[in-house]
Amino acid sequence: MPSASLVFQSIVLGVLLGGLYALLAAGLTLYFGVMRVVMIAHSAFLILAAYLAWYAHRETGVDPLLTLLVTVPLFFVAGVAMQRLLLTRLRPATLTMMSVLLTFSVALVIEGLLGYAFSGTQRRIRLGYSSASLEFFGARVAVVKLIAFGLAAAALLGLYLLMRHSRFGQALRATIQHREAAALVGIDTDRIAGYGFGLGLATAAVGGTALSLDTTIYPSLHWHWIGPLMAIIVVGGLGSVPGAAIAAMILGLTQSLLQLELSTTWAQTVFYVALFATLAVRPQGFFGGRLAQRF
Amino acid sequence: MSTTQRLSWRVAALASATALTAAGCGSGGSSEDSPDDPITIGVSLPLTGDFSEPGKGVERGYKAWAKIVNDKGGLLGRKVELKILDDQSNADRVVSDYEQLIGRDQVDLVLGPFSTRLVVPAARVAEEYGLLFVEPAGAAPEVFDQGFKNLFYAAPAVANDHYNHLADYILALPEAERPKSVAYAAMDDPFAQGTAYGLKDKLEKGGIKTVVDEVYPPNTTDFGSIAAQIASSKADMVVGGSQYQDGVNLIVALQQLDYQPKMAAFSTAPTEPEFAKAIGDKTEGILAPTGYTQHADYPSNKEFVEKYTEQIGKAPEEDEANAYTTGQVVAAAVEAAKCASQDEECQQKLVKWLRGNEVETVVGPLKWDDKGRPQSAHMIQQWVDGEIQIVLPEEQKEADLVHPKPKW
Amino acid sequence: MLRLGALVAGIAVALSFPSMAPSPYEVTVGIAILNFAVLSTSWNFVGGFTGYISLGHGAFAGLGAYATGLLVTKGELPSFVALFVGAALVAVLAIPVGYAALRVRGASFVIVSIALVLIMLLVFQSWASFTGGSRGLVVPRPFPGKLRSEHHEIFYFLFLGLLALALLAWWIIDRSRFGMGLKAIREDEDKAQSLGTPTYTYKLVVFVVSAAFTALAGGLYGLWFGDLDPVFQFSILSGAYMVLMALLGGVRHLYGPLLGAVVVGYGLEYSKLEYGDTPLHLVFAGLLLGVVVMFMPDGVIPAVTGLVARVLGTGETSIREVTAAELRDERDEREADVRPDHRPDGKSPDGKSDGKREVRQ
Repeated sequence: MPSASLVFQSIVLGVLLGGLYALLAAGLTLYFGVMRVVMIAHSAFLILAAYLAWYAHRETGVDPLLTLLVTVPLFFVAGVAMQRLLLTRLRPATLTMMSVLLTFSVALVIEGLLGYAFSGTQRRIRLGYSSASLEFFGARVAVVKLIAFGLAAAALLGLYLLMRHSRFGQALRATIQHREAAALVGIDTDRIAGYGFGLGLATAAVGGTALSLDTTIYPSLHWHWIGPLMAIIVVGGLGSVPGAAIAAMILGLTQSLLQLELSTTWAQTVFYVALFATLAVRPQGFFGGRLAQRF
Repeated sequence: MSTTQRLSWRVAALASATALTAAGCGSGGSSEDSPDDPITIGVSLPLTGDFSEPGKGVERGYKAWAKIVNDKGGLLGRKVELKILDDQSNADRVVSDYEQLIGRDQVDLVLGPFSTRLVVPAARVAEEYGLLFVEPAGAAPEVFDQGFKNLFYAAPAVANDHYNHLADYILALPEAERPKSVAYAAMDDPFAQGTAYGLKDKLEKGGIKTVVDEVYPPNTTDFGSIAAQIASSKADMVVGGSQYQDGVNLIVALQQLDYQPKMAAFSTAPTEPEFAKAIGDKTEGILAPTGYTQHADYPSNKEFVEKYTEQIGKAPEEDEANAYTTGQVVAAAVEAAKCASQDEECQQKLVKWLRGNEVETVVGPLKWDDKGRPQSAHMIQQWVDGEIQIVLPEEQKEADLVHPKPKW
Repeated sequence: MLRLGALVAGIAVALSFPSMAPSPYEVTVGIAILNFAVLSTSWNFVGGFTGYISLGHGAFAGLGAYATGLLVTKGELPSFVALFVGAALVAVLAIPVGYAALRVRGASFVIVSIALVLIMLLVFQSWASFTGGSRGLVVPRPFPGKLRSEHHEIFYFLFLGLLALALLAWWIIDRSRFGMGLKAIREDEDKAQSLGTPTYTYKLVVFVVSAAFTALAGGLYGLWFGDLDPVFQFSILSGAYMVLMALLGGVRHLYGPLLGAVVVGYGLEYSKLEYGDTPLHLVFAGLLLGVVVMFMPDGVIPAVTGLVARVLGTGETSIREVTAAELRDERDEREADVRPDHRPDGKSPDGKSDGKREVRQ
């Protein structure tokens, strides 16, 4: 039976991890919401952002967080470009299926290019504060994990404010909810979809930078993330940003606690068990509300 | 049926036939073995993919060996030519590569690839074609349990014996100084687990308790939970069965939790050049087993270090040395048996000679048991004064072992 | 007639390949390509007929390999009995999996298929006591006395036989009512359901059949290769290759996946020879997949033949170049020649069309 302090430490770690998952899953579900596209390349962009942060740090010594100033707008533009140039060319009838394959190919290309540019060597950023930690009611909280959580929370808050309290956000939500109806009330759904995509990739930039602070990165790392993220968005309800965030927190916490009793590998299966359970019981997800889609 | 459909079938049939025939018409390699022809040696290495970093190290070692041998006149008076293929860290590919090298390119000899995962399937190919298989990197117990009769591992000891000297040292410590509890965290990889569990067996037999025994999958990036368990167990010693930077991640996670063990041993990771940078100046006291040291005064080692540094620009590390050793072992067999060709008779002569003889290499004199296990022992290194140095065994130490470990 | 000729030629090439090959290496390339062909044809049962794209079929191949391997090593069954029993077990497993997965479509289905592979990878890595975990599982050779080169030849023909079986099954389904129902699902599932097709049952049946063939391929590969490792058996990448090959060749054609397998399989070997030292082969595969998806989603065969037909002009167009009156005159003339008692609407008495224009299939 693990001690209370160990359980508490696990809870703390789970919350920190869940926050990061929440940001990453939010972006992933956004693509689906605006365009019914399963964007497998999301985690590949994540790793790309992490590599850019690492590279900038290695070449110029600048703190990785500063790379956000460059990567966020860059990825936003890339997202819009992807949507306009690639995805709109697919036939609407088979859009979802083909978009999976198309984004899969993008992920492969990114992985190949990263491997070519930086080789398969595992990289890690070393910062002065990499191993510093703070005390929190008996648990130790690593500073870098806290920063990553802070970034995720800030980005999610920004996303929330944008979607709830801005005209663009309203248009975005309308497009997600019912595209034809949104077009009927005068929203330029194509453009909004493009911006929605850009927004999703921008969150990948933030997430990737947060990741780079505390993780070792290598080109094929994206496969490790896409599985749990996809499971999270299904559990949360495809297309629903708050649903994804809630599901992420819950599953992250559960994974962390399960690691006390089971091995790390078995603990990772929690995502997939939750996925299958969702599909068996409530395919449109548990936390999505009106925005959630069944498929 | 419509004309367009008939066209479809024609296109399909023509394309299939062409492709299959084209695939079949590969250019077969020449198999002349006249005395002036170079000796071709085939290798498949993971130059891309997950094992690319050590794979490239092994490649450098092989190339250096070939050059040094050729500069001295070659083997049996013939130049050595390496044919190196990239298996992309993939088991299907490594088998296909060795099939290509042996069947199509008709190489005279083969050398082993990197990583236990790739060594076993590759060794099977060599075994079933009757070739000698000396390999630089398959150290896990599984490798030697397959019943291979032609396999030899070119390093001082197998995975389970890597920590032997450390185990002896710990068990010889006076009661008060000896660690009483140990936490083990190993990657789910035959080599990494082999090293950790080898030590675990010996320490458990000596009465030292195991309080944590975790295994993590190779793609783990978040060690927070494992570190939390280790920290909460307050074990005196932590042993990591690690490969590359999972060791780094675990150490950083432990540092973040402010866990301070009296002794810390990790396989492979601390010997990597990036290790110091990755965890900054907090390396003091970390132990690691190693098969090779540049300062060893074995006769062939001085030459190796000198010529390698000349060729490449920096000193050789363990992967390069393992590769070089492999070359040396094969060369010794070839010189003794006076033949270098693919036919079964020659290869069996090579195997038989190695089975019964000792070879001088850059990691010392090597000899093997009937399953190909080498009978020497690995050394133990430790980070002392900002540099990684040999601390065990006594005869080869460059510095005294630091115990207990200073805070990291 | 020509079709038969092409088929016979193809079979002749396939059968004589091992004897023509300069060394056992080429035979192993042939085996790899045949393995891809069986896998992508098996995938095509689901992908081609129902339109559901599964990126996780690698799971069934891996399960087939491990089932066979475990039945041989732990169950002590003879190799080929183990192969079929293993495939049957995987087919049984596919029932609950399909039951859960087929409740959703589109994006969710793809996600589930990917999740299947990933969860299998985790399970087979962690349950080391049973599966050997990352240490791998060694599958003993079914023919221990044979030389390695003979071993390769035997398995080449075994794979060829399995491919023939899979193609036959596909062909039978293609021509059956069952197949028609599946294609209706592909075109519009809801309408098919409202018209009375038992869509769910049909989907499940074809899913299980697909899983069974995939498992057979995986198991046969396991018997041939001999060393199983979860990381290589349960890989999303191999599932993606299956899809790429089927798409490239054309999912609606019997020989589509086979052609795709030959092209991609050969392309992979070639790119490895040329670019092997860098990870650019991933870029190559990714770009190829992207190009196929964007510009040739129906496959290379239709795209190429469409191009050729446009250029050569097969003589069939849907644009008539005569007026309606001239057409009527032509028709009246013909009918007067052939049948004095033709029906007013131009059709001959047995109800068939007038035979001048074939219906495009």
